[in-house]
Amino acid sequence: MRRVTGFLVLVLIALLAFAIPSVSAQQEPIRIGVYEPMTGPMAAGGQMTWEGIVLAHEMTPTVLGRPIKLFLADNKSDKVESANAVAKLIEQDKVIAIIGSYGSSNSIAGGDVAEKAGIPMMTDSATNPLVTLDKEYMFRACFIDPFQGEVMAKFAYGEGVRKAAILKDVAQDYSVGLSNYFKKTFIALTGDPKSIVAEVAYQTGDQDFSAQLTQVINSKAEALFVPGYFGDMALVAKQLRQLGSKILLMGGDAIDAPELVTIGGTAAEGIVFSTFYSADAPATPEAKKFVDAFKAKYGKTPNANGALGYDTYNLVVDAIRRANSDDPKKIRDAMASTKDFPAVTGSTTIDESGDATKDAVLLKVVDGKFTYLTTVKP
Amino acid sequence: MLGVYNPARARLKLLLTFGGLAVLAAAIWWGNANLSSYNLRILNLAGINAILAVSMNLIFGFTGLFSLGHAGFMAVGAYTCALLTLPVATKDSIFLLAPLAWPFSVITLPPIAAVVCAGATAGLMAYLTGFPVLRLRGDYLGIATLGFAEIIRVVANNIPSITNGALGLKGIPSFASNLWWTWGCVGITVFVISRLVNSVYGRSLLAVREDEVAAEIMGVNRTYHKTVAYVIGSFFAGVGGALMGSLVTTIDPKTFGFTLTFNILIIVVAGGLGSITGSVLTSVIYTVLLEALRPIEASWRIGPLRVPEIPGLRMVVFSLVLLVIILFYQRGLFGGREFSWDRVLDWIDRRRSRKQGVRA
Repeated sequence: MRRVTGFLVLVLIALLAFAIPSVSAQQEPIRIGVYEPMTGPMAAGGQMTWEGIVLAHEMTPTVLGRPIKLFLADNKSDKVESANAVAKLIEQDKVIAIIGSYGSSNSIAGGDVAEKAGIPMMTDSATNPLVTLDKEYMFRACFIDPFQGEVMAKFAYGEGVRKAAILKDVAQDYSVGLSNYFKKTFIALTGDPKSIVAEVAYQTGDQDFSAQLTQVINSKAEALFVPGYFGDMALVAKQLRQLGSKILLMGGDAIDAPELVTIGGTAAEGIVFSTFYSADAPATPEAKKFVDAFKAKYGKTPNANGALGYDTYNLVVDAIRRANSDDPKKIRDAMASTKDFPAVTGSTTIDESGDATKDAVLLKVVDGKFTYLTTVKP
Repeated sequence: MLGVYNPARARLKLLLTFGGLAVLAAAIWWGNANLSSYNLRILNLAGINAILAVSMNLIFGFTGLFSLGHAGFMAVGAYTCALLTLPVATKDSIFLLAPLAWPFSVITLPPIAAVVCAGATAGLMAYLTGFPVLRLRGDYLGIATLGFAEIIRVVANNIPSITNGALGLKGIPSFASNLWWTWGCVGITVFVISRLVNSVYGRSLLAVREDEVAAEIMGVNRTYHKTVAYVIGSFFAGVGGALMGSLVTTIDPKTFGFTLTFNILIIVVAGGLGSITGSVLTSVIYTVLLEALRPIEASWRIGPLRVPEIPGLRMVVFSLVLLVIILFYQRGLFGGREFSWDRVLDWIDRRRSRKQGVRA
């Protein structure tokens, strides 16, 4: 009897689950797929990106006189699920272009499926150089790790720093990539292979950095580059200042979040980082329009992920418009020839490897606010 | 009726077995040619999960070793296979942090050899770690093996000249997107492990599971049997990891976190500890169900009411299903029972005699 009851309950759940979806089709829409980490460890980034995409969709709901329909597939921050999600978008939802994903590892897995199916894909914030490598249908709207590493190395050199230290998260491809290129550029600028006086590492989830920071202080470095996420950076800043060091702290776009200041407090003062745009000092009319619309819809200031999601949607729609067709091959060609697109995160041009070249903005924490410092051209 | 040797029935069973295999082969052949690549991907993934679940069942279900190191052995297998099958040109372009170490930088092996190497490396690793670790029992063993899996992940992050560090590997040849490969490996895994379990060794494994001290008094070499089960289980975990790397075509250390082990543990427990049939069927159900539930996360309308996308809803439904399984089938869906032709034939016999009884 228990068995039978159990079986009946299972059947009931299955029926409920399958009875729900019923999508009504009116005019044949343009189908665009989105795969993002909406759950799992990367969910914060994926959800912010999705908010940006939804906002862009509300502002531009049609292209070529046809409505645009978005299909969202959650990849659970996981490679295997990413590949499944992209296969599902292509075969079941019949999408003609795909946006995604936050997280380079997800994008590499999804990109391979899209490449084989011949569907163009544009990733919003996957900065690992491997993402677009050897891929014809894979593009990205953000700049790549090498560029950001270079920008920060040049900035440090320009500030008169001749001895720099690096604290990297070895478990994050983003962190490893940025520090790699920072190191290369800085050594090239100073001409001294010993100019990186300390290169220390931690793992995602570490809370105590005092051993590494003591090593950095003992190395007499004049600046510390920490290409980690905002939570790590806030803790690093606190612990570094507690140890009595006043050296220059630098980071990448991953610390562009209000939590940097709420967690770091006064210790976050003076941190300089590169990012895509500044919500406080929008440089272009598009950026201003976006920030206002985002605040009106969600009641909060958008961060770089929201802006990139918004931009990626508009870049894809722009490619469809210029291709004047819903043929994935033509959309791919149009995407590849994107030039000077007025995006929120800066004028965007897609280069021959499928990567976006755009300006980087340098921001500095002053009085608990991110203030605009300068813009760096690629 | 059981236990009495019946030549007619033995012949019938052999015939049925070959017939069943022929039907399966035909299904694979048909599937490879006709299924969409999305469906193929899910079936391949189901096969890989089946290999992993059956191998974990040998370690946990049959031998009673609560080992949580599966993700670690998968990582070893996946990296070995990837490094051996990646074309040299791809290796040159993806190792951005440090050049790939010799000898991996010059060799490329055919997939079959690479998969066997992957399993062998994982097996060797199991032998080396099993020696000290298998002295532990119960939860302590679980913690030690979990620690081993984490060590593998951390090491993979820190040796960029072999693993490319956190950047991961990409462009792995996708031989495992072929049903012959994945389900062929399932066949080999099930054959080897079921033969092992039904042999004298298998009886000893069960004896060790039920009571280690009693087993040793009866003359079972406890350490030897535990190690055999651990190494063979890990061998197939390595094979499963290699196939998963090939199916997704990219791996990085993050892929092999401990949640992966727990997903497989869920399959093994839901299917029934000590049931190979349960592990295989539950793997298929688990994998297919996770994908089949995707539509409930999409946005939908009831008349004018539009319900937005709810990411994560399928995991809620999925948890409910697991809850029901554990509440109503405490020993898993199959509870230690196996599929066998005897069971099927007995059932048919009983049905027939009951019908005749009614008629008479």
